Amino acid sequence: MRVKNYYYASSLEDAFSRLHESNKNAIIAGGLWMKKTAQEYDTLIDLSKLGLDKIEDKKDEVVVGAMVTLREFEHSPVIQSLNSGMTAFAVREVMGLQFRNMATIGGSIFGRYPFSDVIAGLIVLDVALHFYPEAKMSLVDYLSYKGKYDGILTHISIKKDNAKGYFKKVKATALDFPLLNISISKRNNKLYIALGSRPMTAALCLKAMDYLDKNPVDDEAINKASEIACEELMFSDSTNISKEYRIDLAKVYIRRGLKEVL
Amino acid sequence: MRKNLKVVNNKTHSLDGEALMMGRKSYSDDYAEPNSLVCKMLRSPHAFARIKNIDTSKAEALNGVKCVLTYKNVPHVAMSRAGQGDPAPSPMDKFILDEYVRFVGDEVACVAAINERIAEEALKLIEVEYEVYKPVLDFEKAYENETVIHPEDGIKQAFEMGFDPKKNVAASYDMEVGNVEKVLKECDVVIEHTVKTQAQAHGMLEPHVSNARLDEHNRLVIYTSTQTPFHVRRIMSRTLGLPLNKIRIIKPRVGGGFGGKQQFHCEFFVALVTLKTGLPAKMQYTRQEVFASSYTRHPMKISMKIGASKDGRIKAIDCHTLSDTGAYGEHALTVFMIVGSKVLPLYNKVDAVRFGGRVLYTNKVPAGAYRGYGAIQGNYGLETAIDKLAEALHMDPIELRLKNSMKEKETSPIFEIMGEGTKGTAMIMESCKLDYCIKRGAELIDWYKKYPVKDMGNNKVRSVGMAIAMQGSGIPFMDMGAATIKLNDDGTYMLTVGATDIGQGSDTVMAQIVAEELMTTVDKITIYSSDTDLTPFDVGAYASSTTYVSGNAAWKTAIKMRERLIKEAAKVLEAHTYDVEFDGVKFTTKDKEITLKDLAHRLTYVKDMQQISVTESYFGHVSPPPFMSAYAEVEFDKETYEFKVIEYVAVVDCGTTINPMLARGQVEGGLVQGLGMAAYEDVLYNSNGKMLSDSFLYYHLPTTKEVNKITVEFADSYEETGPFGAKSVGEIGIDTPPAVIANAVYNAFGVRITSLPITPEKIMKAVKEKNK
Amino acid sequence: MTLTCYVNGVLRTFDVTPDEYLADTLRRNGFFSVREGCNESACGACTVLLDDKPVLSCSILSAKAEGKHITTVDGIQDEAKKLSHCFAEEGADQCGYCNVGFALTVYSLKKHNKNATDEEIKEYIVGNLCRCTGYQSQLKAIKAYLKGE
Repeated sequence: MRVKNYYYASSLEDAFSRLHESNKNAIIAGGLWMKKTAQEYDTLIDLSKLGLDKIEDKKDEVVVGAMVTLREFEHSPVIQSLNSGMTAFAVREVMGLQFRNMATIGGSIFGRYPFSDVIAGLIVLDVALHFYPEAKMSLVDYLSYKGKYDGILTHISIKKDNAKGYFKKVKATALDFPLLNISISKRNNKLYIALGSRPMTAALCLKAMDYLDKNPVDDEAINKASEIACEELMFSDSTNISKEYRIDLAKVYIRRGLKEVL
Repeated sequence: MRKNLKVVNNKTHSLDGEALMMGRKSYSDDYAEPNSLVCKMLRSPHAFARIKNIDTSKAEALNGVKCVLTYKNVPHVAMSRAGQGDPAPSPMDKFILDEYVRFVGDEVACVAAINERIAEEALKLIEVEYEVYKPVLDFEKAYENETVIHPEDGIKQAFEMGFDPKKNVAASYDMEVGNVEKVLKECDVVIEHTVKTQAQAHGMLEPHVSNARLDEHNRLVIYTSTQTPFHVRRIMSRTLGLPLNKIRIIKPRVGGGFGGKQQFHCEFFVALVTLKTGLPAKMQYTRQEVFASSYTRHPMKISMKIGASKDGRIKAIDCHTLSDTGAYGEHALTVFMIVGSKVLPLYNKVDAVRFGGRVLYTNKVPAGAYRGYGAIQGNYGLETAIDKLAEALHMDPIELRLKNSMKEKETSPIFEIMGEGTKGTAMIMESCKLDYCIKRGAELIDWYKKYPVKDMGNNKVRSVGMAIAMQGSGIPFMDMGAATIKLNDDGTYMLTVGATDIGQGSDTVMAQIVAEELMTTVDKITIYSSDTDLTPFDVGAYASSTTYVSGNAAWKTAIKMRERLIKEAAKVLEAHTYDVEFDGVKFTTKDKEITLKDLAHRLTYVKDMQQISVTESYFGHVSPPPFMSAYAEVEFDKETYEFKVIEYVAVVDCGTTINPMLARGQVEGGLVQGLGMAAYEDVLYNSNGKMLSDSFLYYHLPTTKEVNKITVEFADSYEETGPFGAKSVGEIGIDTPPAVIANAVYNAFGVRITSLPITPEKIMKAVKEKNK
Repeated sequence: MTLTCYVNGVLRTFDVTPDEYLADTLRRNGFFSVREGCNESACGACTVLLDDKPVLSCSILSAKAEGKHITTVDGIQDEAKKLSHCFAEEGADQCGYCNVGFALTVYSLKKHNKNATDEEIKEYIVGNLCRCTGYQSQLKAIKAYLKGE
């Protein structure tokens, strides 16, 4: 990575106008995955002086600034008590502690990394992304948004649904990328299932969810839902895991997860 | 065990631990001259190609670039980078830089510039035109392949080792005791078993790093992270045509080696840049280079055939092995031979044993020395085959091993036949507590309560697996180490050794041995090691030789120093030497005494002034093997086959442990590295031969979370030929995990996983296949 | 560009490029205690504290440290000495290249959670790779250090 200028933005407006001065300008969050690219930048724009590092506990939702680090997020009592703690749990699976002291919630989501544990953990909840210039989009919509989004991610809000959640990251060693992510929640009497790192970015298993919505949830329905989930999403091989094994794992953990949240 | 040991076999803190924890300037790169040129390497993008044209003019014209090395302007001398003795038992098939590149990541050109950024920019300006050839990536297809990886002239072997480059053979070897075919025919039960082992990366935390400068007399002084400073000096002297005494190699603290730093990395390049420019130069591999441009463990295919009588007597072992040495033949022959020589003698009561096969070149990252050195591959083959044999015989695997394994005072004909690339050395096992190790390990893991498997409910089962292992202690009649002890004028000692501390703690161990013999404490011994100008010779840290070979040298020197001191004291006390008693502090006769301190002062300043200094050397006449048993309890998920090792038990006979805590650290660290090879680590390539797992993000070292309980015990054992009864302990810990985990998988699910690493996916596939 | 920050409590200014990483800036200025192991945020050897939090100096741009407090092991020598004693007592010393990273991470743990359970300790140090020891002796040593032994 080569960088000509490093700039601390004084306001979101300032950051936004700087960003659009050149297509070689970019926002830097934690900057961890950025390091691995061979990109050349004119100006990296740092948002850390804009107060985007707070977690606010509001009546119906929790609002998390984009510059909140993964470590601050997982450690926050508000997040830990939110939705049976599953979001904190998902974030804690990312690399080591030092890494999580640097990586941010905003960077983890905005990059839409296919291996993201953060996205996999949040996607089964009611999560909205807030941008500058002012715009709001659900996490699910953002993941399917075509092309690079033009605005700056400033906050995310997580609805307090009193959800019950389950999160499983399958990995070889503790510092490994996920071989597969399985997340499940039950909120407002509806079951949500998502699979990430198949190796594609996490996605909801809408057909399986629909099936569970329409049928009494017993052992048979759980088995059936796990089958449907694996049929509706795409899986493929990676260097260290086959498509077939991914599917076998997904079925087992969907069944286990559903039983846990019921 | 020798009684009343005060320092040896007692708790002694590591001598360098505090400085390292406090972050003192310690490692090679910390000693680079502040204004050093930074060297960077242009590396081949092709698995096999010839450089048709290379144009460095633009790079050389870049402001700040001081030097560009290509095969056209460096010495063209065939050599081996293996870092072994002389003559080296590895083919001399490497040039510093060559017109051929033989793996993705092989060296093309080296740039030296005033800073890293300019060096990197300059790499991009080098124009190379390649003639690209079809690579050989599968070692099973390498023999007599139409692609010849080493077609060049001038490469050679120092002695006959089956080197046949036109057939892609780096080395080959065959031996037979008795008539294996005939004995197998007479056996009641014969099993066959073939396993494949993967490449493994050393993963030492300090990358390969060296730096050079010319001293005021224009001598070349190099700090380098190496396991073999004296071999580096010799090989460099010959290859560069520079007199040996014009080169000084200094090894400061080393951040881990595991065999990876026995070979050359940056040394030639910083040397050449400094010689050409007159300026100091430094080079540090990136982590990607450490993975993809250094060395790995040799991948192998090992086929075992074992025959036994129905009462469980193992009568014949036939082992055929193919080994993949990658693009260059560092350690090709010797690692290969250890698959036989340090594995097969475990079952020494056979009527016939055969070992043989080939080591083949491929267009992959070269293989080289790596802790275990063939023994871990062979152990996986043999010890899973023994479990298979036990099953065929309906015998308990522990009973089968106890019945057939090596016992004290026994021998194996293999010792005499197979050595380090040459003939071996006959030896009787004067110390072998393998029986005890096997029995004690079974107790510690509570084998008979847990064998073969228990259902734990909640989709979990727990099974147990076991294996036994042996290694060696240096290479007899080949590895030499030396030590010098000098008396200081206050009665403290200066100990200099060639022995190479690479983090295993050999400085501490050497100081303990000397302190024990001189009846003093470690704080009275100042140790300085591995500086070719200042310390005596030592082959270096490899082949499990340091404690045994270098330790014996230190011990011998200390004994001589004691005798010398008593002689000097006797003169002062006007007595016969046999009337003088020395307790480490003072010399006494019936009526007189003088303290060591006073004696040292007197000899320096007062009367009969002289420097008391003693040097002794040692080379082994035997290589007494350490032995061990290993047991693991492993918990599996019945549906996903994910597993974790609940407990790993190792009972080790390494003779006297000079430093029990450091010895335990060697075993524990070896076990976890072996567990990495057994379960997590895999060097992966794409179909063009580019390494994919060239980062800690994609190559998985075990973390603290993969490690649960490890129990290590040492057998009460005393090796007469070792220093204070010690044998080696550096390598043996790594040997067993692949076999132990594989055997535990079998005991859990009835399937044998015959390739490494053993992943949950492989187990699931095997179980599905079995249930078909 | 100029970087102004505190290193071990002392206000310092460094001349850096916008794409230089903190580990390089520190080593270039004589802080040799910062060990570079992988340069890809995966091994923990280069850990320093940034405003008291353990971070990977190989992967944080120096520009990000503007106005902040950096602590290297040179700034916590007494604590490092205590930890090294615990390591020595357990035989947890081998090549030592990871030790400084452990010292800073564990020092931070001691400040925040002196009574950490085994699992919490592992959670804290999982990003610190060690290839030598097998971790067991280190874990014992760290427990003793947290207890103040």
